Amino acid sequence: MYKATIGIEVHAFLTSDLKVFSNSKNSYSDTPNIFVNERDLGMPGTLPKLNKDVIDMALAAALALNCNINKVMHFDRKNYFYPDLPKGYQITQNKTPIGFDGYVEIEVSGETKKIRIERIHIEEDTAKSKHVGDSTYLNFNRAGCPLVEIVTKPDIKSEKEAMQYVKELRNILLYLGISDVKMEEGSLRCDANVSLSKDEVLGNKVEVKNIGSITNVGNAISYEIKRQQEILESNGTVIEETRRFDDVNKKTISMRVKEKNNDYRYFPEPDIPFVHITDEEIDKIKEKMPMLPKEMKTLFSKKGINPKNIEALLLNKELAFVMLNLGDCVNFVKASNILTGDVSGYLNEKSISLEKTNFDISRFEKIVELVDNNTISSKHVKDIIPVFLEKVDDINKIMDDLSIKQISDEDSVLKIIKEVLNKNEGAIKDYKDGKDKAFKYLMGQVMKETKGQVNPGLASKLLSQELKKQ
Amino acid sequence: MTNYLDLDIRAINELLKSKKIKPIDLVNEAFFKIEKNNLNTYITLNKEQALKKAKEIEDKEVDNLLFGIPIALKDNIITKDLKTTAASKMLENFIPTYDATVVKMINEKNMIIVGKTNMDEFAMGSTGETSYYKSVLNPWNKNKVPGGSSSGSAATVSASEVVLSLGSDTGGSVRQPSSFCGVVGMKPTYGRVSRYGLISFASSLDQIGTISKNVYDNALILSAISGKDDNDMTSFDLPTDFISNIDKDVSNMSVAVPNFYLSEQVDVEVKNIILKTIDVVKNMGIKVDYVDVKHLDYSVCLYQTIALAEASSNLARFDGIRYGYISEKFENLDELYKNTRTEGFGVEVKRRLMIGSYVLSGKNAHIYYDKALKVRSELTKSLKNVLSKYDLIIGPTSTNVAYDLNSDEKDYLTSFTDDLLTIPANMAGLPAMSMPVGFNDEKLPVGLHIISNSYKEDVIYNFAYKLEKKLNINNNLAGDSNV
Repeated sequence: MYKATIGIEVHAFLTSDLKVFSNSKNSYSDTPNIFVNERDLGMPGTLPKLNKDVIDMALAAALALNCNINKVMHFDRKNYFYPDLPKGYQITQNKTPIGFDGYVEIEVSGETKKIRIERIHIEEDTAKSKHVGDSTYLNFNRAGCPLVEIVTKPDIKSEKEAMQYVKELRNILLYLGISDVKMEEGSLRCDANVSLSKDEVLGNKVEVKNIGSITNVGNAISYEIKRQQEILESNGTVIEETRRFDDVNKKTISMRVKEKNNDYRYFPEPDIPFVHITDEEIDKIKEKMPMLPKEMKTLFSKKGINPKNIEALLLNKELAFVMLNLGDCVNFVKASNILTGDVSGYLNEKSISLEKTNFDISRFEKIVELVDNNTISSKHVKDIIPVFLEKVDDINKIMDDLSIKQISDEDSVLKIIKEVLNKNEGAIKDYKDGKDKAFKYLMGQVMKETKGQVNPGLASKLLSQELKKQ
Repeated sequence: MTNYLDLDIRAINELLKSKKIKPIDLVNEAFFKIEKNNLNTYITLNKEQALKKAKEIEDKEVDNLLFGIPIALKDNIITKDLKTTAASKMLENFIPTYDATVVKMINEKNMIIVGKTNMDEFAMGSTGETSYYKSVLNPWNKNKVPGGSSSGSAATVSASEVVLSLGSDTGGSVRQPSSFCGVVGMKPTYGRVSRYGLISFASSLDQIGTISKNVYDNALILSAISGKDDNDMTSFDLPTDFISNIDKDVSNMSVAVPNFYLSEQVDVEVKNIILKTIDVVKNMGIKVDYVDVKHLDYSVCLYQTIALAEASSNLARFDGIRYGYISEKFENLDELYKNTRTEGFGVEVKRRLMIGSYVLSGKNAHIYYDKALKVRSELTKSLKNVLSKYDLIIGPTSTNVAYDLNSDEKDYLTSFTDDLLTIPANMAGLPAMSMPVGFNDEKLPVGLHIISNSYKEDVIYNFAYKLEKKLNINNNLAGDSNV
């Protein structure tokens, strides 16, 4: 039986206002070369100007990943020639990454596992090359944009663990508010190192680059495990190389055979003095740190929210933060149902974020309250939510406009219940025999008679009264 | 022709203030002399703009001592819209889009930039002969080199073509040509002057320096270009007044002369002039001790390793892709790089880039570069140790006077020892100056090297100003400086 040993390297794009070593805007644009100054082009005589915000963001990430902090750190130059690298070197951190020896906890099939983080360091992005026919076009908007690279120890054993790790890491960065973490748009890039072995001796390592989604993290790794297994089973040798994941054909393709020792001629960047990180700065970052997914998960569990809803909430930071902002009297479980159901459904359908809607917490609480006291049904919620998100109207007005009226008059409800009971002697008998289903069936019939307009709380109360009399 | 440029700045300032002369008179004299002398001191003249500027400021109030003073800039200092070549074919037609911080500061004083001075290519050399352009001639003897790499900057001040110039000093490139040309050249404390806009050679050693005819003028220009710059993270924020203390009593000072600075590597005539100067210093009441300074003898090795390693990285940006020279012959990316850099860089630059790449490559980084950093910090400690006991370290700036042009057939290794005595100040980031203290039999100038602790430029200026008065050397080529 072959064992897989997997390590993951993630590059996350940080959302600081300015680039990491220049005053240019750190932003994305369809228009090339507009966020560019003489530094970004590596003009002679220019020097890097370190953006302190980037240090703070990377420090927050390092702390959230439970890392030790290099309190005296420096930057290094990684020297190589490539057209997208304007200075002929990349400013990165080789010897003193801002964080080291941390971990991320993941949950796979109910078990908690620690994935150790080897290092997290700051570096600058390169320009973007676009190849058209025989020509290559360079867009320097991206040159000098801040990245953190996060490298795990080879602690990951399966594609499932890998996917869970990337999900967890993505959520942490998202909740810290330091990265957009959109793999599809390249703001989170993921490479996987995969090797297979039968024993303790590690097999040859293959690096898979260009993995564009979490699903593909799984796909790429499982393909790679299968590919390497087939080679080993036929007594072949796995070549140490860099491959890329082909999304269309769902397989990895060889890019280049790894040169044994890449000679990047690293040396400390002399243009940036050593950076000293004080305990006070660390404390300040810790104080400002928002609630992270792991803590939130614990909190939501305590509130009785089911695991499926928790996962759905954590996937959408905005929805998770709605939960945190709800008043104490609000029914959290019902609120989570509405958020992960109708609200989330609406957002997905329209491909927009909650921020872009007219969502507000007090009207939302009103909806939850109406559901909680059975004034409206889940069917009503489905109708109300789109209007609620699109308009600023009062909930009562929305209900009026949608002609949501509750039959709450006791006599009328009782009359309907009696009619239903008369037609369903069988169900009454079942109920008396202790079959719970029978009650639900009878409630359903009442709803059907009233076209869902009856106050469910009242109906339920009266129905059980009437059944007891039978 | 007028001879206003032979005067010191305070005298010129009086003339400007009293409206006896106008800035344009100074500019006209500068261009007249540059063209007449034909010393190849400039790569690019800023004639049109300089004349325009002189006219512009004509009616303005003469609000500072540097107002209207013509200045020359070494051609590795970036000037917006004015060609900046670093004396390399690589940047033969390079017109920058921004101004170096020092250029902005000079413009704020309403000084007039006359042109960009000739130099060793990318500041790599100590004779001026590695320039892609013609070699600069030494004004004292046209068959001699002016020293380098700030060759044109030293020669043009020496020949009174301008009053002031800026150079850059990585291992002695301001001080050594100043010594060869008989002018005052200062390399300030590392970080004193912003390097933003100085084409980097070795980032941890480079420092912009000032060249003038006399000590006072030097202190003036250094004050004007010093200070913290947000664009250079290695710059620092400390007072930049080098004038107030310049005339203070120096009799309670103490100076150290490292025995290494008077070893047999130093030319006998140079040594004798320095010893005579030391006698004068003693006569000023200053205590002089001969001391041993550990690790001074490693200077050249340190330079070869650290400076060239950094250079190999700093010059990687010249790849033909975004600006500068690009080869016409290439079929693929590798050829584009290879041919552009082969054709665009001169022999000396390529030699140094190869050594620099070598010492950082693979295991060598540990064997050479890391070890050099350790020795560098030991050398710094031993220099600082001496400077904790003495105000200054003095000795000759160079082991010899200016040598013959085209004698570069000499061993490439020994040519590095030209900087033997100047490199230590760069390694330790210390301020250091060369000032003229005499002439040899051939009437070639000899410079005294004065090193102080970090941030103590004022002590150097104070000492040098007093010594200059005492020695009363005439470093004016034209003889008396009467107009």
